[in-house]
This record gives sequence, C-alpha cells and structure tokens, in this order.
Amino acid sequence: MSSPEDAHLASVSERLQVAVSPKPESQAESARTSRAERAGFEARGLTKRYGAFLALDRVDFQIRRGEILGYLGPNGSGKSTTVNTMVGLMEPSAGSLWLDGVRMLEDPVAYKRRIGYVPEEPYLYTHLTAPEYLMLVGRLRGLTEPVLAEKVPAFLQLLSLWESRYATMAAYSKGMRQRVLLAAALIHNPDLLVLDEPFSGLDVPAGLLFRTLLRLFASGDRMVLFSTHRFDMVEQLCSRVVILSRGRIVAEHDVASFKESSSPSLEDVFVRSTGQDDFTPLARQILSLVQQR
Amino acid sequence: MITSLPESPRAEAFLRVQRWRDVQESAEWRLTRHFFRAMFDFGVLTEAGADSLRHMMLGAIGGIVTFGLLLTRVLVGRYIQLGRYPTGEPYRQAMLGDDMLIIGLPMLFAAVMTLLVSDSLFPDERDFRILGPLPIRRSTVFATKLAGLLLFAGLCIAVAHAAMLPWVLLSSVNRWLDHNMLLRLVAWLIASVGASYFAVFTVCAVVGLLVLTLSGGRRQSIGALMKSAVFAGLVLCIPLVLQVPSVGTLLAARSPWLAAVPPAWFLGLQRTLVGRADGTLLWLAAAAIAGVIVVGLITVGTYVLLFRHFERLVLKPADAEAGARSSRRRLFRSRGAPAFHAIAGFTLTTLARSQLHQSVLVGLSMFGIGVAFNSLIGATPRSLARLPYWAPLLLVIVGGAAIRLSLSFPLQHRANWIFKMTEDPATRRDQFRAVDWIVAAWVAGPPAALSFVLWWVATGHPAFVEAAIVGLLGLISVHWVLRDWWRIPFTCSYLPGKRFVAYSAMVGFFLCAFFMIASTGLIVVARSNARLAIAIILALTLVAWLLRRSRFAVWRRTPLMFEDELPDQAVQLHL
Repeated sequence: MSSPEDAHLASVSERLQVAVSPKPESQAESARTSRAERAGFEARGLTKRYGAFLALDRVDFQIRRGEILGYLGPNGSGKSTTVNTMVGLMEPSAGSLWLDGVRMLEDPVAYKRRIGYVPEEPYLYTHLTAPEYLMLVGRLRGLTEPVLAEKVPAFLQLLSLWESRYATMAAYSKGMRQRVLLAAALIHNPDLLVLDEPFSGLDVPAGLLFRTLLRLFASGDRMVLFSTHRFDMVEQLCSRVVILSRGRIVAEHDVASFKESSSPSLEDVFVRSTGQDDFTPLARQILSLVQQR
Repeated sequence: MITSLPESPRAEAFLRVQRWRDVQESAEWRLTRHFFRAMFDFGVLTEAGADSLRHMMLGAIGGIVTFGLLLTRVLVGRYIQLGRYPTGEPYRQAMLGDDMLIIGLPMLFAAVMTLLVSDSLFPDERDFRILGPLPIRRSTVFATKLAGLLLFAGLCIAVAHAAMLPWVLLSSVNRWLDHNMLLRLVAWLIASVGASYFAVFTVCAVVGLLVLTLSGGRRQSIGALMKSAVFAGLVLCIPLVLQVPSVGTLLAARSPWLAAVPPAWFLGLQRTLVGRADGTLLWLAAAAIAGVIVVGLITVGTYVLLFRHFERLVLKPADAEAGARSSRRRLFRSRGAPAFHAIAGFTLTTLARSQLHQSVLVGLSMFGIGVAFNSLIGATPRSLARLPYWAPLLLVIVGGAAIRLSLSFPLQHRANWIFKMTEDPATRRDQFRAVDWIVAAWVAGPPAALSFVLWWVATGHPAFVEAAIVGLLGLISVHWVLRDWWRIPFTCSYLPGKRFVAYSAMVGFFLCAFFMIASTGLIVVARSNARLAIAIILALTLVAWLLRRSRFAVWRRTPLMFEDELPDQAVQLHL
C-alpha cells in the first residue's frame, strides 16, 4: 500500500469507517465488547435438512473479534445455507448460533440487529433510488432521521454513488448494486458482517477499497464472515479459513500458514480436502468440444 | 441436397416442412416467440401463484360462459321482437347502437390489454443489455419486437372477435336486414379489426411519445402516471360503453358529437362498406381511415426513431434536477417512528412508480366512478336524487378492493429478505400502522370528499354530516379490507383465487348489498334529525376505534407473512 492511489483508498476507507461508527462507544457497549472478546460468534452443530437432503451436517466454527473468517467451498457445499442460517433468513434443523455468549434463539431480534449482510445476488428493490433504499433499510434498522440524514449522503459520496443518486437502481450495474448493498449492510454499525461473494461485479478500485475497508472494519473489534470461491481473496484478506464440502467442515487453517514456503498452498489444501480430482482431463474434454465443428 | 429431390407432391410437402423448420430455428422466429411470451409475464406470480391463477381463470370462464348464455337468451328475445315490428325502422335504429357496441367492446379490450403490456411495447434498456452482446442485428431486435406486439395484439383481437361473432350472427338473422349477410360479416370484420388495431396503435403512440420525450428518471414516474390516466379513462369507458345501444337516436340524428366517439368512426366505415352510408357516415368512415393511418404512422415513427437513436433516447440519463426536487422533498422530512416512515415511504413510492400496482389501484377504483357516471346518462330526477346516497359508498367498496389487491401483488419477491432480516415485534405495530394509514386514506378520503361534493350539488349547502358518516363508514371498512393482513405491502407471494370464484362473488355481493343498504339507511336517518346524526357519528367513531384497536392487538402478536397460503376447506367455508 505505497502508491498514491493506495493511500487515497486507505483514506477513503478510514472515512467510511467513521461513517459506519460515528458514535463514541458507551460504557454499556464497552462492557458488551469485553464480554464479546471472550466469545465472538460461534456455530455449534449447525444442521440443515431439506427433506431427505442434508445440506449442513453438524457444522462447528468460530469467528473471533477482530477476525475475518474465510468460508470456502465448491458449489452446493452448503456455503449459502450457512450464510442464510447465520443471518436469520433460514432456521436450522438442529444446532445453535451464539453471538457474544448469547444464543440466537433467546433473542433473535437483538441478534439480527447486530448483523450486516451482503447477499451474493444483488436482490434490491430496483424501482427505488440508492438513497431511498438506504433510507428504507436505515429506518427498518431503527436509525433516527438525523443520523440517516448524515449517513446516507456520506455513504453515497464515499462509495461513488452520489452522481447516480436520482436514478432508480434498475439502471445500476451489478457493481453499483453491490456498493449499495454494502452501504445497507454497514449503515447500522453491525458487530458481525456476513458477506456472500461480495466482490462479484466490482471494478478493481472498488475491490481494493472494499478490501481495505473490511480490514479496518474487522480491526475495530468486529467480525467478518467472508464466503467466497476465490482463494486469492481469502489469502489477502482473511486470518483464518474454513473449508466446507458436502455440508461438512473438512478443513480449518490459519491463512498465515499458507504463506510459509514449506507449506502447501490454500488451493492444494482445498483440492485435497474437498476431494476434487485433477481437472486436466475434464478441461481437455471441454476444449475438444469447443473445437468440434 | 434438398433441392436435388424430385419435384413430386411428396417432395414439395417435405420441402415445405423443411422450410418451416428452418424458419422455426431462425433467430428471428425465436426472438419473436420470446417477445410474444414475455407479453404474458408480469413477473408477479410464483409457480404456485400461476397454478392458482389458472384455477381462478377456469372458474371465471365458467362464470362468463353462464353469463354469455343468459345474455344470448335476452338478445334472442330482443331480435325476435324487433323482427315482429311492421316496419324495419326500429330494427335499423337498434342496429346502429348494437353495431357500435359490437365494434367498441373489442376496441376497449384490445386497448386495455395493450396498456397492460405497455412496458414491453418497444425495445428497452434490458433488451439492449441482454441482446446487445449477442450476434444479432439491432434491426432484427426491433423487427421481432414489433412482430411480437402484432402477434399479441392479433391474439387479443381474434379472441375478442370470436366472442362477438355469435352476437353479430344473431343480429343478422332478421327479415329487416337490408343487405347481404355475408357482406355484413365481412364489413364488420374489416371495420372492427381496424378499430381494434386503431386502439392498439393509439396506446402504442401514447407510450411511444412518452419514451421519446421523457428522460430515464421522469419516464418511470410520469410515464406510470400517464399510463394510469389512460388506463383510468379506458376503465371509465367500460360501464359507459354499455350505454352505447341507447344512443341509437343520437346516431340516427347524425349528431356532430359522434366525431368524438372513435367506435362511431368505424361504424361509419362498416356502413360505407355495405353501401348504406350517407354524408355523416361517410365522413366518419374517412375519420376512421385517417385515425388508423395517423396512429400507425406515430407507432412506426417511434420504432424508426428509437432504432436510429437508441443510445441517446433509451439510455439517456435521468433528469438530475427533476429527481433532485422530488427526492429532496421526500428524503429528510420524516419525523416519528422510523418503521412507520420506512413502510409508508416504500408503499407510496412503489404505488407511484410501479405501473402494475398503479393500474390495479386506479383501474379498479375508476370502475366504481364509471358506474356512477353511467347512472347519470338518461337518469330521471328521482334516480339522480339517489346518487349522493350510493355513489360514495360504492367508491368505498371498490376503493377497498382495489387497494387490497394492489398491495397484495408482490414486487421483486426475492428482495424481501431485508424485511425478513429486520422483522421486530417491537416495531411491527408501526409498520402496520403505515399500511393502515394508507388504506384508510384511500378508502375513506375520496368517498367522503365525493359525498361532500354530491350533497352540496344536490342540496345547495355544505354536507359535513353526510361526508363525516361516509368517511367513518370508510374507516370501518378498513377493517374488512385489512382482514387477515399480516404482510408488508408487495413483499409476500400472491395466490389469486384462493376461494371459489362463485363463492367469493356471492359472498361479496351479499356483503356489499348489506353494506349499501345499512349505510344508506344511516345517512337517511342522520339527515332526518340533528341529534340522531350526532349519535350516529359518535357510534360510528366508537366502532371504527374499537375495530382499529382490535386490528393492532392482533398485529402486535402475529409474525409477518412472506409466503401466501391457500386456506383449507374448513376455513374456506367458515365452518
């Protein structure tokens, strides 16, 4: 991070973090934080069945305060089911979710209030403009009008959406919609940010900005679950990675360990853990199909 | 290989089949089929909803067939009676009105259907983004879109004319018919199909002019409002068009007002084609031909302009200043509970921008006003005196049904995760309060205002008591409108026709009849005595307040609904 562009991105990220957390931490919050330091987020024996199909099978993992946890897995491994269960859009068939030592089912509303979520597909009400959508989300999150009046324009400016503020989101590109979703996920200053493939559709500067922002966000004693297919993003961003295959956790590693020259790469570990075969024969088959006349 | 086949009848047939297959596999055909199918997809219903709609449509078709048989019985009697007259004049005069109605009904149907698919009439930004990267010429996209529209319009027009055919045949079998029956059929088909295409092209021309003149941001809001206004006008015509047969005398007198009635132009064309036109009818026929040419040219011109300047016209950015004014007004003025403003803002913005929801709301509500206008035509002083009693109450009923249906239709169903994630029993009351407020404003406000105006016109002095009673009855009927309502507007999947159509129609009819009779009785009593009027107003206020309280008590403890469910049989029959 030494070029002027990187320095600029870092400064914008810092300003964004100010937009995310403008209030000084109260005494109660610091008490909550100290308790949370002990616990963070925890999934215990998380299981989800769709009829006879077992989508998640006794999944256990933890996210510590200040940590970005990578959540890797092939398609259909149960990543999105985990995410949907974590954010409260889906009820688990068995198992439990804990946030700062409090079980989700004890107070699901308080639990959801502390979570921000960026879904994989940018499902938004595209007949609304970006400020209208952020106002809607902010109000649903219980933010007052003065707070929203300050935060919404700031988010729009910092995320380069200000020029498009009067256009409905039907005219937005996927990257612009992802930026709106990120702003909506952060607007209430959550403790846990759940991201499901958040970088799809983002251009390079926006991707760099998001990466820096997520690092700063997590370093402020918050937690991030980063569900993705991309090894490079996990290696650059996450401190730990959990690998999921066929609904079960098959590996859990510190990302730093992959940077040692003697260790296998994350890709090697992923391929080995998920039982993926050598793709060369399949790739050859596809190529011959492409070349077929 | 194919051309080398011998020229036998079998080879010819094979070649024809082969050519047809080639056409079916061409990009043009596939795109035309795609655009045609897209006309039937409003993007509102889930798979379960589509199934439910099919069941409802079957029930509705049964009802329409029954009604059609009844109407045929009535018409047979009418034409037998007209055939018994000693002269042909009563028959000819009646036929003027009937023929105009037979031409006008398919026109109305074609116009309403075209307006419902008005978002798909011209290539848009979505087509540009999806089809642009594919190796398809832009001219192909435009041509196939137009072909899809013409196919859709053709289907609607064919269905409407098939429905009218028995009536035309029935009216033609009469001893006083003064021209050949086959000629009459051909003339009717030419004139009526021309009239229906005129209606389709008129809607296309209006939408085309909006596309050409408005920028992206304004197009959505002003365009939706304009289309709703046209839709409201068309719906107002539905009850009015039924009065057409009674204007036979107007037609017989060749009134200059006929120039303002498009079905009359095409009646002139029909009469010209059978060789029974005089000066006025000839002039009307010329107006019909000129009308078709003008709206056809505007539609084709819009296509050509869009084709030539697509990027500039369709992809032009939103008008920043216009947006700035409206958004600034809306965004930061709210005070009070955030959840209330979240739902109120979301609902009102959606109603302002979504063509489908606005059309349902405005269209159904306008139907009530249309019925009221309909009763003014040829009304006696006695029936006019009754109008202030029932017209506002009718508006309460249709307004209630319209807003319930409009709020029930989902919009971008998959985006509702944000409401699921933020559901909170503590703020649910405020969310429902917003829905309650909007429904109450729609169901009680306009009817009370209409009552005030009508009574003022009828009696010559301001009618506060009558307006207050109608407003309070509207507030009470909010309870009926929001019965079993546990959803955020537009976020729940929708299953149409959850109960048997006949059952719903019967229960609805009796409930409405009871509401109208009881409410009219209250107004009559209130008008007779000032003390009784105060007592009635106080009693209605108490009932409205108690019902509202009970609604909120239920809402406070009931989770939000995001998936619509079919009621079981026991619930359905209220056993």
